[in-house]
Amino acid sequence: MSKVAVITDSNSGITQSQAKDLGIYVLPMPFFINEETYFEDISLTQEQFYEMLRGGADIHTSQPSPESVMQLWDEVLREYDEIVHIPMSSGLSGSCQSAIMLAQEYEGKVQVVNNQRISVTQRQSALDAKLLASRGMNALEIKNFLEEDKFNSSIYIMLDTLYYLKKGGRITPAAAALGTLLKLKPVLQIQGEKLDAFAKARTTNQGKSIMINAIRNDIENRFGGMTEDRHIWLQIAHTANEEAAKMYRDEILAQFPGYDIHIDPLSLSVACHIGPGALAFACCKKIEV
Amino acid sequence: MTSNTIDAKMLSKMFLAGAKNLESKKEWINELNVFPVPDGDTGTNMTMTIMSAAREVAALGDSVEMTALCKAVSSGSLRGARGNSGVILSQLLRGFTKSISAKAQLGIPDLSEAFDKAVETAYKAVMKPKEGTILTVARGGAEKARELAGSGMEDMEQFFAQVLEHAKYVLSQTPELLPVLKQAGVVDSGGQGLVEVLSGAYDAFMGKEIDYTISQAAPESRGEGKSSGYKAQAEAEIRFGYCTEFIIMLNRTFNIKHEMDFKAYLESIGDSIVCVADEDVVKVHVHTNDPGLAIQKALKYGQLSNLKIDNMRLEHQEKLFKMSEKEGAQAAPQTAAASAPTQPPKPVGFLAVSVGEGVNEIFKSLGVDHIIEGGQTMNPSTADILDAVDQVNAETIFILPNNKNIILAANQAAELMTDKNLLVIPTKTIPQGITAVINYVPEMSVEDNEVTMMQEIGNVKTGQVTYAVRDTVIDDKEIKHGDYMGIGDAGILSVGQDLLQVAKEMVCAMVDETSELISVYYGSDVQEEDARRLRETLEETCGDCDIELQYGGQPIYYYVISVE
Repeated sequence: MSKVAVITDSNSGITQSQAKDLGIYVLPMPFFINEETYFEDISLTQEQFYEMLRGGADIHTSQPSPESVMQLWDEVLREYDEIVHIPMSSGLSGSCQSAIMLAQEYEGKVQVVNNQRISVTQRQSALDAKLLASRGMNALEIKNFLEEDKFNSSIYIMLDTLYYLKKGGRITPAAAALGTLLKLKPVLQIQGEKLDAFAKARTTNQGKSIMINAIRNDIENRFGGMTEDRHIWLQIAHTANEEAAKMYRDEILAQFPGYDIHIDPLSLSVACHIGPGALAFACCKKIEV
Repeated sequence: MTSNTIDAKMLSKMFLAGAKNLESKKEWINELNVFPVPDGDTGTNMTMTIMSAAREVAALGDSVEMTALCKAVSSGSLRGARGNSGVILSQLLRGFTKSISAKAQLGIPDLSEAFDKAVETAYKAVMKPKEGTILTVARGGAEKARELAGSGMEDMEQFFAQVLEHAKYVLSQTPELLPVLKQAGVVDSGGQGLVEVLSGAYDAFMGKEIDYTISQAAPESRGEGKSSGYKAQAEAEIRFGYCTEFIIMLNRTFNIKHEMDFKAYLESIGDSIVCVADEDVVKVHVHTNDPGLAIQKALKYGQLSNLKIDNMRLEHQEKLFKMSEKEGAQAAPQTAAASAPTQPPKPVGFLAVSVGEGVNEIFKSLGVDHIIEGGQTMNPSTADILDAVDQVNAETIFILPNNKNIILAANQAAELMTDKNLLVIPTKTIPQGITAVINYVPEMSVEDNEVTMMQEIGNVKTGQVTYAVRDTVIDDKEIKHGDYMGIGDAGILSVGQDLLQVAKEMVCAMVDETSELISVYYGSDVQEEDARRLRETLEETCGDCDIELQYGGQPIYYYVISVE
């Protein structure tokens, strides 16, 4: 049996110390802040990041340098036969494209998964990959499995403000669709490649119930309904909003009794475009019950 | 000598006389409104409803027969229905015609049956029938008719006299059934309207000299791009011929009381009135047949400037010509939209009843396809709503009435509509309407959206600040003519002479620990500076909430404020 390693990037929300416990490798995403380079969870904490974001610092995201990617792969391949590499969604970053290109030099030993996940759903993919590897699948089989499974997840994000979305200018279609006279809390949807406007709310409570309804709708119509086996992972992600996230977990549990709900801070690459105070609700279909 | 049966000709006369009598009492009925809000217009709404039917009846001429008469009454009133009491009246009339249209002569048993049918139909139209209203009066009359018919009465004159007498008695009892009426010291205005219709009809039956001519003029035309049938009629629809505008440069005080007096005077000589007072000028706009009267009255307050008087009847010819050109140009792409496969109807559209440029703009920016101008001041009729529906190229159209007095007319429109799916979200206020459309999620099914919108409109509280048009007592609060009133979803929340204070007290009564957001929409009669001061005051007193200030531009209501 080939020995398969799982690598993802820090967008998965998996911290360096969690990675060690899980037996997963996490590539830190680089940030350029006021022209200095920082690495997520290595030289940049969440707190530092938000402090600089609020302070109006000039923050740019970047993909991991080819050098850092290949260095990690080479290092890992000393211990393992193959690698499953799960980068952040190709719809949000060029990381995936670059990784696929770099992997061509590794003669199939590195399989890059293009399953368009981010944050809590990307984390789940990494956990799934680990599980599949332990069941004896090789890297190619795992990649194919995860890519076929890619649409079995859904993320909705409620923003506290449109400010960062507009400032970043990267997600203009969504921002444009929401340009109204009233102050609104937009609810965005990440579905496959696109990050787009899904709905709008005036208050946090409205936004929270919009997301609950949307997830329920996805479960009913796309993921085989709410069944006794609870074959759905539910996740909450947030940007500097942990207390609200915990409160939201209780509210969600009242409507989805008995489910485990994982809470993570939203990865910083997403956070720098949507700003602090955002709350996300996501679900993934379990690959086995 | 009167006969013991009536024929179509007599019924037609009686109907027209009833309509005329109601029209002559309309101002008085308007004043019976419990809430002393400006433009409480039960009388106007009922009159416009019945006049729509009367015009169709009058058009039938003298050689009328029963089936045609019934059809005219039924369809005319249905399409003209506006306001709650108007809709109920239209249902009464429609029900009344159901059982008699195949008969040439009507005896007492026939009439009794028709009354029963009328009441049955009207009760069905209202979701939660309330006693002490027009419904109670109608039912009282019908019960009396049944009793008399059952006793074998044959004397038609006696029959009508006793039914009318009993209806009047039931009307006089409405304050006993509805405490709000009792406290305000009035009888139910809708019930009074119905009694006026019956009185007029009775007078006609008794051979009283009555002017049966029904002006073919519909008092209000709304919406653009109507059918060609509308155009043919439109010329006759100008009731007041001169559009008169000027500015008064005040040389004496012009307070709210003067403003109301002046408006009331203008209303007595015309319509389409705008009267906006600033510190030292008043802008006036009125459609009237006698511009001189408006000018003379205005001269009492100061010098006039920027006078402009246009003869609208002459202009209308020209406009019609232009309209037909424009319509021709517009019709082409529109027809194409309807028929060409490249532009199929979109799945869902929105229609909102709204007034005030700021509010209209907000609705449009949120994706509402078409605005029906109207609200407290002017309730759109069922026909107005149906016309507006034609402007929206969508399979399903959500209608936001945004006023509790328009919901029934919207429901009626939804029932009459066959080729599009009309869904009424019963929004009672502008903020409820805004909340409904914000919560619409395109990816979700129409049914799920309907459920969500219904839930969410229940979570927004609305308060509106206006002024009292007469002295009264409501909810144990004494209100003086000209006072400011803050009206919440369930009644009067604050009263006083200081606008800011009244608005603040109203908001304080609405906010609780779960409130997150206070939205203030200030009206056309409020200066931005004053609105900002209100926001500052609210920021001090309701610090936990976000406060958002928007220009609504609505008339009548200085502030429309929502808490959610």
